[in-house]
Amino acid sequence: MNSLKYNCAGMARRDFIQLGLGGMMGLGLADILRLQAAEAVTPATKSKKPVNCILVWLDGGPSHYESFDPKPDAPSEIRGEFKSIPTSVPGIHFSECVPELAKVADKMSIIRSIAHKDPNHGGGNHYMMTGAPTPVPVACGAFVTFHPSFGSMVSYDRGVRNGLPAYMSLPQVSRSGGPNFLGGQHAPFVIGGNPDSKNFQVRDVVLPSDISEGRAENRQALRKSLDQMLRINDKLADDPTVTFDKFYEQGLNLVASPEAQAAFDIAKESDKVRESYGRNDFAQRLLMARRLVEVGVSFVTVYYGGWDHHKDIFKTLKGDFNKRFDQGVAALIRDLDQRGMMDNTLVVVLGEFGRTPKVNKDAGRDHWPYAMSVLMAGAGVPRGQAVGATDAKGYHAAENVYKPEDFAATLYTKMGIDHTRVLHTNTGRPIQIVNGGKPMKELFA
Amino acid sequence: MQKLKTKTWPLLLGSLSLAWLLSACSPASKPPTPLPPPEFTAITAYPEKLELKTGEAAHHLVLTGASTNGFEIDITFRAKFASTKPDIATVDEHGRVKPVQAGEAVIKMSAGGVTTSVPVSVEAVTNELALSFARDVLPVLTKSGCSLGGCHAKPEGQNGFKMSVFAYDPKADYHEIVFEERGRRVFPAFPEESLLLKKATLQVDHEGGQRFTPDSAEYQLIAKWIKQGMVYEHPDEPVLVGVKVHPSERRYRKEANQSLLVLAQYSDGSTRDVTALAEYDSNDKEMATVDHHGQVTVGKTAGEGVIIARFMGLVDIARITVPSDRLLPDKVYADLPLNNEIDRLVYERLKKMGYAPSARCTDEEFIRRASLDSIGRLPTPDEVKEFLADQAADKRSKLIEHLLADKSFGDHWATKWTDLVRPNPDRVGVKSVYLLDQWVRESFRSNKPYDQFVREIVTAEGSTHKDAPTVIYRDRREPADLTTMFSQIFLGVRLECAKCHQHPNEKWSMDDFYQFAAYFGPLKRKGAGLSPPISAGTEYFYYSPDGGTVKNPVTGKVMKPKPPEGVEAKLADKQDPRLALADWVTDPENPFFAKAVANRIWGEFFGRGIVHPVDDFRASNPPTNPALLDALGKELVKNNYDLKALMRFIMDSHVYQLSSVPNEYNLADTKNFSRSYRRRLPAEVLLDAVVDVTGVRDNYTGMPIGSLAKQAWTYKIDSPFMDAFSRPNSSSDCPCERDASTSVVQSLHMMNSKGLQAKLSAKEGRVKQLVDSKKSPGEIVTELYLAALSRYPTDEEKQIATKAFSGEGVTPQTVAEDVLWALLNSAEFVFNH
Repeated sequence: MNSLKYNCAGMARRDFIQLGLGGMMGLGLADILRLQAAEAVTPATKSKKPVNCILVWLDGGPSHYESFDPKPDAPSEIRGEFKSIPTSVPGIHFSECVPELAKVADKMSIIRSIAHKDPNHGGGNHYMMTGAPTPVPVACGAFVTFHPSFGSMVSYDRGVRNGLPAYMSLPQVSRSGGPNFLGGQHAPFVIGGNPDSKNFQVRDVVLPSDISEGRAENRQALRKSLDQMLRINDKLADDPTVTFDKFYEQGLNLVASPEAQAAFDIAKESDKVRESYGRNDFAQRLLMARRLVEVGVSFVTVYYGGWDHHKDIFKTLKGDFNKRFDQGVAALIRDLDQRGMMDNTLVVVLGEFGRTPKVNKDAGRDHWPYAMSVLMAGAGVPRGQAVGATDAKGYHAAENVYKPEDFAATLYTKMGIDHTRVLHTNTGRPIQIVNGGKPMKELFA
Repeated sequence: MQKLKTKTWPLLLGSLSLAWLLSACSPASKPPTPLPPPEFTAITAYPEKLELKTGEAAHHLVLTGASTNGFEIDITFRAKFASTKPDIATVDEHGRVKPVQAGEAVIKMSAGGVTTSVPVSVEAVTNELALSFARDVLPVLTKSGCSLGGCHAKPEGQNGFKMSVFAYDPKADYHEIVFEERGRRVFPAFPEESLLLKKATLQVDHEGGQRFTPDSAEYQLIAKWIKQGMVYEHPDEPVLVGVKVHPSERRYRKEANQSLLVLAQYSDGSTRDVTALAEYDSNDKEMATVDHHGQVTVGKTAGEGVIIARFMGLVDIARITVPSDRLLPDKVYADLPLNNEIDRLVYERLKKMGYAPSARCTDEEFIRRASLDSIGRLPTPDEVKEFLADQAADKRSKLIEHLLADKSFGDHWATKWTDLVRPNPDRVGVKSVYLLDQWVRESFRSNKPYDQFVREIVTAEGSTHKDAPTVIYRDRREPADLTTMFSQIFLGVRLECAKCHQHPNEKWSMDDFYQFAAYFGPLKRKGAGLSPPISAGTEYFYYSPDGGTVKNPVTGKVMKPKPPEGVEAKLADKQDPRLALADWVTDPENPFFAKAVANRIWGEFFGRGIVHPVDDFRASNPPTNPALLDALGKELVKNNYDLKALMRFIMDSHVYQLSSVPNEYNLADTKNFSRSYRRRLPAEVLLDAVVDVTGVRDNYTGMPIGSLAKQAWTYKIDSPFMDAFSRPNSSSDCPCERDASTSVVQSLHMMNSKGLQAKLSAKEGRVKQLVDSKKSPGEIVTELYLAALSRYPTDEEKQIATKAFSGEGVTPQTVAEDVLWALLNSAEFVFNH
């Protein structure tokens, strides 16, 4: 895209306007005013770097035993098949299921004492994705939203920066990841597809593969000269086409920005880095997420489902499914650290709940919201820390117990958003973005 | 319908000059003209007489001068006041009259050389009653901001002290203050040691800051009440029955001021000046602002606004009308085409506001707008050509008939209604979602009378796998949820607020809400006892009246079914009360029903309701043109709720056929319908338009090949296009209005999506077919314009686009693709205008 002729405001130079398109009343002037309006919204403020968030959603509810809260001294029907292993932090042990994450334990905090009471996927998803419990019981298969998700809130707070949607989700929306009353413009921008495949392209933000840059330039020039509808630039007239132009110019800027375009091209990443994450779809999405926050996307959800291990949990976790998770997330944390991105990137890894202490008859574990482990790193989260604890057998969060609301307040505070802020729904009803939580003090050292 | 008049007002056409654009786009350069010194022909005082009791607080007087320029002007602050007997009643320079002792006095006032007077009688109260919490203390706490939603009235209170929001539950508030926290909040032996007072005066830490000072009247009153022993209310205490604001309606000059007077009315016929205790709000801060004391400052724009005064859960409004500085000559309106009653009523309004309507839209604009609005699709190139070539004077009316008979009509309008009633598939199962969807579609395809459509929903019985409207009950399972939904979508009234507290801006109480809910109390649900395949959802049966009752959760009283503003339903034994509800809802005399749907339909054709948002009817959100709304409602009733007839009435009007380009005299009008307001095409309509223009269909999972986007029956049908353009998501639990805004995601999708590019270059597509037909570049361009923008290109446009065909390294196919791409990415395509 470098070859496109753009002026300093990032707009394609308009050769056609000189051709004398004075046919329609005042078009030239309206156009100039349109350009000015577009310039007025170009983000000019460059304050200190805001924190962006990568949230890894382990849909189904990962077991706390087989990850960050092993109970080696519990009876075997609770302990399970796996051993606990030391981590890079003396005194903190993880399950042997996550050997790579154990090596980067010194770069993150594990919170072992978040608990709630909703044992259904639908409700648990909602609680942990929005910070609000569902007001009515919600069945397991349900997709519901009664409250804006974290990502949508961040989008609402930050708005579009550099033409980039603030909230993206790969490769799908998580169940309660929607905007609720904040409206469709704060729904996640979904990037489907497999970034590990050869022809992967992020949709819409880059030119379609069969359109050359020169042709794109021709198209823009044609559009500029053919889009002749009169714009009513007086603010009093409230003409929505003026806003339409602003967004269009932002989109153009994004397509014209070499920096942004490079970010969307995961092939620009070295093989060494790509290998370190692991050559699979999930791990490459994590890498993609890193590239997206690097270029200024505020909130990226990476969805990784399949953690509802009612059967054969040990067998499953010995396989690739778990290895990909362990290696990918560990690589992400290491990578962010090496690039000096930890200070302004918050990494959160969680699911909707933990799993039952007693292994069931099918060698699985069932839903258990009374104890779960959440990984947090970056954005000032202390390194090498385990916060809180469950009881000796892992039944209940027992020390420094936190609610999902406290987790939500922590996340928002890290993102620079006042968690006590009150918003109004479309019926005028005031809604607190988090109802009553307090940031977890251990995460603000 | 009268014959169309095509005369236009030459001044309007001439005004659309470059010079006008220049002036319209630069900030107003004229300095505001200073108001002339007021001259009055008369002054009047309100109230006309005062009856006061000793020991009462001061009563405000509001003085109005009738000025020579026809406006009524508040002169309270400019007048001189004097009492004939200051030993009976005194008056201060602000017009506050304070009783002293029993007797009669006269307050004399003068301003601008004119005088008037108000008699005052003061009655002696010998046995002064102790202060009461309900009458005296709670209003002071409310006014001081304690029971705001952001403070102690949050759901969990604030720092352990919880009050009810808008004071909807005075008894609980009393209990919280007097008994909770081991009684620390009040200390009758030493009132000044009460935590309630120490917090509010910041003698101890208080996150909410200082609410009043120890020497204030508020402090004295609360201290006195604590000392007197903290009465809740007296056995024979008059009950608050109403609130009145003065002046209730008035025309103002821009930037005028007005002091409001708020009177509380009690069950014993007495009134009380609560101006100082009421809370105030403005519905439109551009129109007018209001301060804590009820002082209104009118803004700089012409229009209408409403000030809301709220006292102890009761609400009254003051209407503000600000005419345009410049009214236009009557001839401007007399010469306009008058197609039907709509035109007359809109012109009347425009005349009052000093707006001139835009010119009549072109035939090209009309066929595009009328098709998109009524059937949700673009006219085909042939339809456009035929319409433009037609010389008949009544061709627009004929087109309207033709459109209303089109087969797309049902799906287009069903999409709008399914926005409102579509259930969450995870709550009802996909089988039921589909069933309900098809029922709504069939209702609109057959133009079912709207009252019958609603009746079938309100009285639904049977199986969620067979009897479609019952699915709504499976989705909204509680009487309260049904109340919220039905009142909002069928009556346009947001009763929901009154679910938990008195409606803050309306008269609706919790009793109103739960009396409505009581209609659904006896409804009973029973499972089929079979587990169908997981996605289908369990079958349930609904029938009445074997269920339970509904209680007001605050008072605990069992509610009897009663409609808002109506009389209690008379029910036969074992009768389903919903039958009575359906009778009331669909009664031609129902004050809400016909207007609510007429307003919704109007909103679809103009991008804005006469009441806006379309489902928020309340005194504090008045219609911009009440006469018009009444007329539409009556038209609907007259035609037995035939929605098509109403649409025909609307589309036939000259007002609907106005241009979207403003003139010098209506640029600032965004709600009186003096021009067509531009609006982005909804997701489904836009996608179908892209499919029609490119000639390449989309394939949707779970739908037959060739289905339209507007036939999609659940949000789960994957479509990044429709998601980008904000189709509603029925897993989201709010009756969410469609988001019609534009966004960068939308721009990027139109600009770069692979799907769109594939449609442009497809073998079976319009572009390829045109190119293969050996048409000349000029002919190709013309066909693309007709398809995408429903008009012929101008000479310049044709020249620019044709020239591109002779560029270097291009083929006719790529250029034609690029031209069409450019058109699809233009505002003229994305917007209805």
